[in-house]
Amino acid sequence: MEIAATIPAPQLKLHGAEGQGLEKRSVEPILKTENLWKLYHAGKVEVPALRGVNFEVQPGESVAVMGPSGCGKSSLLYVIGGLAQASRGKVLVDGNDLTELRDSERTKLRRSKIGFVFQRFNLLPTLTAKGNIAIAQYIHGDGFDPHRFDVVTKMLGLDGRLSHKPSEMSGGEQQRVAIARAIINEPKILLADEPTGNLDTKNSEIVLEMLRRLNKDLGQTIVMITHNPEATVYFDRVVHMRDGVIVDGVPAD
Amino acid sequence: MMAELIFRNLWHRPARTLIGVIAIAVEVALVVLIVGLTSGILTETAKRIEGVGADIMLQPPAASMILGLSAAPMPIKIGDKVRELKYVQDVAPTLLQSNSAGGVEVIYGIDQQSFRAVSGGFVFLAGHDFTGPDDVLVDDWAAKAKHLKVGDTYNLFNHDWNVVGIVEHGKGARVFLPLETLQDLSGSHDKASIFWIKCTRPEHTEDVMAEIRTILPGYTLRPIKDMLSIYTSTNIPGLQTFIDAMIALAVSIGLLVIFLTMYTTVIERTRDIGVLKSLGANPPFIIRALLLESALLCLGGIAAGVGLSYGARSVFLHIFPTLTVLITVDWVVRAALIALLATIIGASYPAWLASRKDAVEALTFD
Repeated sequence: MEIAATIPAPQLKLHGAEGQGLEKRSVEPILKTENLWKLYHAGKVEVPALRGVNFEVQPGESVAVMGPSGCGKSSLLYVIGGLAQASRGKVLVDGNDLTELRDSERTKLRRSKIGFVFQRFNLLPTLTAKGNIAIAQYIHGDGFDPHRFDVVTKMLGLDGRLSHKPSEMSGGEQQRVAIARAIINEPKILLADEPTGNLDTKNSEIVLEMLRRLNKDLGQTIVMITHNPEATVYFDRVVHMRDGVIVDGVPAD
Repeated sequence: MMAELIFRNLWHRPARTLIGVIAIAVEVALVVLIVGLTSGILTETAKRIEGVGADIMLQPPAASMILGLSAAPMPIKIGDKVRELKYVQDVAPTLLQSNSAGGVEVIYGIDQQSFRAVSGGFVFLAGHDFTGPDDVLVDDWAAKAKHLKVGDTYNLFNHDWNVVGIVEHGKGARVFLPLETLQDLSGSHDKASIFWIKCTRPEHTEDVMAEIRTILPGYTLRPIKDMLSIYTSTNIPGLQTFIDAMIALAVSIGLLVIFLTMYTTVIERTRDIGVLKSLGANPPFIIRALLLESALLCLGGIAAGVGLSYGARSVFLHIFPTLTVLITVDWVVRAALIALLATIIGASYPAWLASRKDAVEALTFD
């Protein structure tokens, strides 16, 4: 919390509604699934991970997805992030139906509209923090933008750690680098897969506060998977999953 | 950014990178040295034959161009017949004898007078011409290799010879013995393996060869001016095949090592590949990254290989001073291109495999 409190006011403009006091209006959802199924094959047996999920996220909204292990949370994240192909149904990301797209087109859409944060940070071990963030800009294709890079790294309190490799950083620092990498290209949606799962309480709070501020201050749409009920207080809405379906979706307290 | 990623990846596993570099260096050095050694020996032999100063080399029917493998010698009287032909200035009979002690070399048994007439005589760096039947002349390279000087005794063919002269290299052989003594030792009385023929003018070479074909049908005739083009690996039966096989073997080693190196790299970096895919990297990006990494590894190997070639040549020449290893820019470039091609081929499958990895499986890989 202390680190997060020192973060300067961001100078960025992200997609969706801007600034604090975000007004949720009735607009086209930035993310929508319709009767979404995902089947895995174990030999000749089909194992359903998602069984007709209907789910919507509005621009600028932050949603926490909760549920027991194996309920399909990660599968949902991978499918709406375009990393995995849906078996049936529709996935609309900013108006684009992922199920209609070829792999190369989904890759292109993921590059421009989706940012990922993972539980295990997943930083490239050979690169420094700076390199890990810059490579996302490089892959995005717009080249290195020093201004945006400075703003994002300062916002996440990383400016003193940029020359360090992941092995030289704490878990909290690594996750902040991962968040910086995820938002450096101004994605429409930030997808976080248990981003606090490998962090202690203090660092978990720091990361969650940063995600909250990204959402509240910059209007960043966020969908986060979590096991931690305490994490849900940082989000506008909590969705519960069980056995591959969403069982409810209520605003968080 | 791509360059940084590649450099850091290579630096991340220095031992693996070093093994890859060494494998390619060995590949490049083997190609350069095998070709350099064969072409060096052939070119040097051809130049020494040219250095005899004759215009035509006459050998028995079906004689090999590898002089050490020459067939049964010819009667010395043939030289007299040839000497009578129009446009023939001099004829020098030479008996060849191979010596395999301390390496294979061809010893020339020469008739001092006629050999001088054809070749213009030796350039003596020390000593003088034959004065007795047990005298031996050695060229400066052989003298250095065998640590011989004028006045020494040199045992050859189980016979002690007196070293009476050190001559400048380049006139056929490295060791010269009196023809008659060598004939006696080898049981080839009045025989010669080669007749060196000097024409009155070089332009008469074809005319003289035509006349010799008339009087000695079936005998082998070689114009000396063509020696450099005759003494190539493609003209020696089996040699080019041997060289090709050695090059293929060297390339196979490099290719397999690169394949294994990049394959283990891809397995080790499975999760990283998943991360790149999650960031929106497409298959061409991943293939490009891995192929460029392999190519950079290869460039390091090529540089090391060229250095290794020159180092190995120095060692060879120190151990075998009479050897010639011809390292040419042409073959260095060819070896580099061969190594680069083998590297790209070796890395292609692992790169393709990486590009095809399922992103979710890659991200959850342990």
